[in-house]
Amino acid sequence: MARKIKLLDNLRSGLTALENHLVDGYIDGRVSRRELLRHGSVLGLSLPFLGRISLAAGFGAAPTLARANVKPGATIRVACHVPQGAVDPLIVGSEGGLAMIQQVGEFLCIDGSDLTLQPCLAETWKPNEDGTVWTFTLRKGVKFHSGGEMKADDVVATFDRLADPKNASNALSVFKGVLQKGATRKVDDYTIEFHLDSRSGNFPYLVSSDNYNAIILPASYAGDFEKSWDGTGPFKIDKYIPNVGASFVPNENYWGPKALPARTEFTFFRDIQPEILAFQGGQVDVINALPATAGVALLSDPGVDIISVKSSGHHALHMRCDMDPFKDPRVRRAVALCIDRDKLVKGLMKGHAVVGNDSPFAPIYPSTDPTVPQRKQDIAQAKELMKAAGMEKGFQVTLSTEQFLEIPTYVQLIQNWTKEIGIDVKLEIMDYRTYVGNAQYGTSRWLDSVMGCQVWYHRGVPNVFLGGGLTSDGPWNPSHFKNEQFDTLNKSYVAALDLEAKREASGRIERLLLDQSPVVYGYFFNHLTAIKKGVAGVQPNAMNQIFLQSAGKE
Amino acid sequence: MTHVYIDTPSSRHQEVFAALFRSGPFLIGTAIIFFWAVCAAFGQQFVPYDPLAQDILNALGPPSAEHWFGTDQLGRDIFSRVIAGSRDILTVAPLATILATIIGTVLGLLTGYFRGIVDDVFSRLIEAKMAIPGVIVALLAIVALGTSEMTVILVIGLSFGTNMSRTVRSAVLSERELEYVAAATLRRESAVHIMFVEILPNILPPILVESTMRVGYAIFAVATLSFIGFGLQPPSPDWGLSISTNYAMIGGGYWWTVLFDALAIASLVIGINLMADGLYGALDA
Amino acid sequence: MIARFIARRIALALVTLFVLSVLVFFCCQVLPGNVALAILGPQADPRTVNVLNHELGVDRPLLVQYSSWITSFLQGDMGRSYIYRAPVAPFILQAIGHSLKLASVAILVVVPLGILGGVVAALNVHRPLDRIISIGGVSATILPEFVSGIVLILVFGVWLRWLPISAAWPQGAGVFTQVYHLILPAMPLVLVLFGYIARMARAGMIEALDSDYTRTAVLKGLTWRLVIWRHVLRNALLPTITVIATQAGYLIGGLVVVETLFRYEGVGSLIFAAATSKDFPMLEAAVLVIGITYALATLIADLLYSILNPRIRMGSYK
Repeated sequence: MARKIKLLDNLRSGLTALENHLVDGYIDGRVSRRELLRHGSVLGLSLPFLGRISLAAGFGAAPTLARANVKPGATIRVACHVPQGAVDPLIVGSEGGLAMIQQVGEFLCIDGSDLTLQPCLAETWKPNEDGTVWTFTLRKGVKFHSGGEMKADDVVATFDRLADPKNASNALSVFKGVLQKGATRKVDDYTIEFHLDSRSGNFPYLVSSDNYNAIILPASYAGDFEKSWDGTGPFKIDKYIPNVGASFVPNENYWGPKALPARTEFTFFRDIQPEILAFQGGQVDVINALPATAGVALLSDPGVDIISVKSSGHHALHMRCDMDPFKDPRVRRAVALCIDRDKLVKGLMKGHAVVGNDSPFAPIYPSTDPTVPQRKQDIAQAKELMKAAGMEKGFQVTLSTEQFLEIPTYVQLIQNWTKEIGIDVKLEIMDYRTYVGNAQYGTSRWLDSVMGCQVWYHRGVPNVFLGGGLTSDGPWNPSHFKNEQFDTLNKSYVAALDLEAKREASGRIERLLLDQSPVVYGYFFNHLTAIKKGVAGVQPNAMNQIFLQSAGKE
Repeated sequence: MTHVYIDTPSSRHQEVFAALFRSGPFLIGTAIIFFWAVCAAFGQQFVPYDPLAQDILNALGPPSAEHWFGTDQLGRDIFSRVIAGSRDILTVAPLATILATIIGTVLGLLTGYFRGIVDDVFSRLIEAKMAIPGVIVALLAIVALGTSEMTVILVIGLSFGTNMSRTVRSAVLSERELEYVAAATLRRESAVHIMFVEILPNILPPILVESTMRVGYAIFAVATLSFIGFGLQPPSPDWGLSISTNYAMIGGGYWWTVLFDALAIASLVIGINLMADGLYGALDA
Repeated sequence: MIARFIARRIALALVTLFVLSVLVFFCCQVLPGNVALAILGPQADPRTVNVLNHELGVDRPLLVQYSSWITSFLQGDMGRSYIYRAPVAPFILQAIGHSLKLASVAILVVVPLGILGGVVAALNVHRPLDRIISIGGVSATILPEFVSGIVLILVFGVWLRWLPISAAWPQGAGVFTQVYHLILPAMPLVLVLFGYIARMARAGMIEALDSDYTRTAVLKGLTWRLVIWRHVLRNALLPTITVIATQAGYLIGGLVVVETLFRYEGVGSLIFAAATSKDFPMLEAAVLVIGITYALATLIADLLYSILNPRIRMGSYK
């Protein structure tokens, strides 16, 4: 397909230098189409625009939110994890809870299933030159379920509420060092500015659906969400019974196209198995989050559609860098070299995962450097490293972890593989709350154990994995990895606005982590959604959010 | 002057043994238990595969000529695991029962002998404990203490021990009214001496009967705790643990991952019960 | 007489319940975990955790927490769940309702079955049929519920496909659908209880068959069938009441295993969930409910027993 140079030039004339650099990279082949779309969306280039660029450059159309060919008026029944605790947008932290608030509430932008930011309550956004001030233009004519129009005041109040350390806000960890209370400012009724503490190239993700607490609520919101269920979304609450389920009906005054289903019903489950049974028994049409091992029977069922969304979620195997026997990075590398990653993906995850390369840079991130060599199982080299570290006789170590989905099976595989280089791993698998403890150093098995394994859920950007889990002062750094070089690289990664600068920084981080190996990242699991044949238009994302406005029966 | 009611020991023993060997249930029960004991001790040596050997790419294979009972989630041979799986439960359950017997005897002697405030305090505590189901007590204790074989033994030992102390206490209560206790008190023997040297030998028979009976329940308890995820740690081939890790897939039709372990537990429990039944019959005769 | 007996029993039960509440409270303190983290997830900001724990009141001194809980409990307020931030009463009631449904189905099946087994055994005393029923009954009693449950699920749920293998019925299902979903989960309980009831019914029946009363009745020319029928009722009722009373705590709150296996939200699961999330008011209320059930059941059983059993009443006249 010929490149339409003229059209491209016209399109590019209105872009900033930063944006033009991205488009250049795309045309030269340094940046793939997916990366262009994704990174372009962060910088605030609109999807139709990006679509035109890629069409003009001859690469085919951008994905659209086109509706599947379904009949409206269906009742869609979803099996969902039971929300932990009361549903309150400020506090919600469980998979079930975040799926609930997202049924009625909406975000400034949405991190969709293709990991591209799409406009929602904000129509456009743009950084200033150095990425410290981000300006968002709000959509006009959006009404809350309670009646009022959504304006800048509501958005400012929402983010002030989330960034206030006096509130029990679950978004504090996301906004730490980035956004403070009072830093969200109204320009006019439909424009707001975020004044950041420091440069952030990924900021739009922090106000997108990725930061699941950040649904826009009216300025007058005073708690007790389970009574009001106020929001701007395509669905309104019908009924909510704690521990049992919830149902929703279309919002007649929705700003966008009206939701197709006549009704959606969520049933809460404590465990995945009854969800599968209810699905097989025809009681529900959709399982929102299906783990590969427990759901193995559904994966090959011809009556089931499986949506497999790549994610950055993973099971991190940490080794204490400040304690024997893992003080020596060679020993940690030896452990990492024992892992047969292809077998993990094929055998453990039934193909619904992507091989990891011992850094949190999952292949789905556009900034992940594809030139970093992939680590593969190499027992001979592992043995040499053990010998070099004076550990050729091996040692005994306890691996503590949580009773959670694939993790017990995963650690038994690790136990088996590391046996080959003389490491005798004793397993200590416990209830996940016991394992996490207080999630603070000194009172948490997770953060204190010599070796451990913990689930990290998907994030649209790796900032929390890096800043929280690996920096010297990170609050959840179970490997106690303290490396100045890493801390500096992390800072430059977070601050970089330009995709190639980001990739440059992440490449160096990836190589450093391969050398140091404080944490083994064996695989990144996909987010699986099981849908009964005949039901279409269900749009899940890796965050466990599920968008049902286009769903229906064929 | 000790209080013994066995007449001529040798003839009595012969009678009991004769009765035991005539009893069909006893022989069947003993055979089952013997089988599992042999498996526990030597099973690792004669199974076709290493019970821990993994083959993840051949996971969840149905029973075949190669793998008689199929393979599990990690591709391990289930037949070998079931055979080797008797070891942990046959170690933990008897140890827990021994601990329970010791605790029950000491507590029962103390409360029965001293009565008064000691008895009152312990009785209230024990009653409070008995008011809630055993599994809940064990659950709370293990959630609090963390999971390990040691905690399982401790929790079952304590829980059964307090129950056993009731039996011991009532035996002590009737014993302490007898003259040999009064005589010992007159001789100014210490309380410890009276309890453990004078009274204990005379109440041994009911204690032993109760503790044999408890072995069956200890197996029940260990298996149950493993099943709820509070027992042994992977990769142990323990039956309860295997069922616990695999039963979630039952709806998918992977029946072989749980059926054989369930049958193994059932056979062991029934074996112990048959043996106990035969033992009662023989002692009764 | 009877009033004093009841008063004494109630007083003792109250002391026991108080001890129980204190035990649960201290047990709850040593439980691992952090209430706020259970709600927020492990990667919450420490500031958020502290604020939420403060809002929930779990950072207050232990004695303050306990005394504030027990004062409101004594005033009839069961307290508010830390996790759900709502009164615990509806949760407890719902769980009890579920547990009662399951227990009722089990009892409805096992009582006639157990009595029948006991009577048949008594009529064939020391014959093979008696041995089979007796040994089979006791074996079934010490068979862990999950073992019988797994086999039943495989046979009736997976192979024959006669019964659903999950107790969770669809939202808004009618009574029949609910019972249909509860048949399989009730079976392991039936197996556990059958041995107890059959054994006691057998003992009662053997005694009754030996009694003068029966001989007189036979001499008077009543048919065997009639004699057995009359005696069966009385002699079977007593042991049944005893078994149900002593097992009341188990039936209401001890079914963690059955509830886990069949995914049923009864009191057992509620306690399990409350214990692992350190939700003290929920745990305390649920455990006390079992304790109260147990105390009441034993009291009622004792009363019924003394009313129904003439020998005990005669004894009290002497």
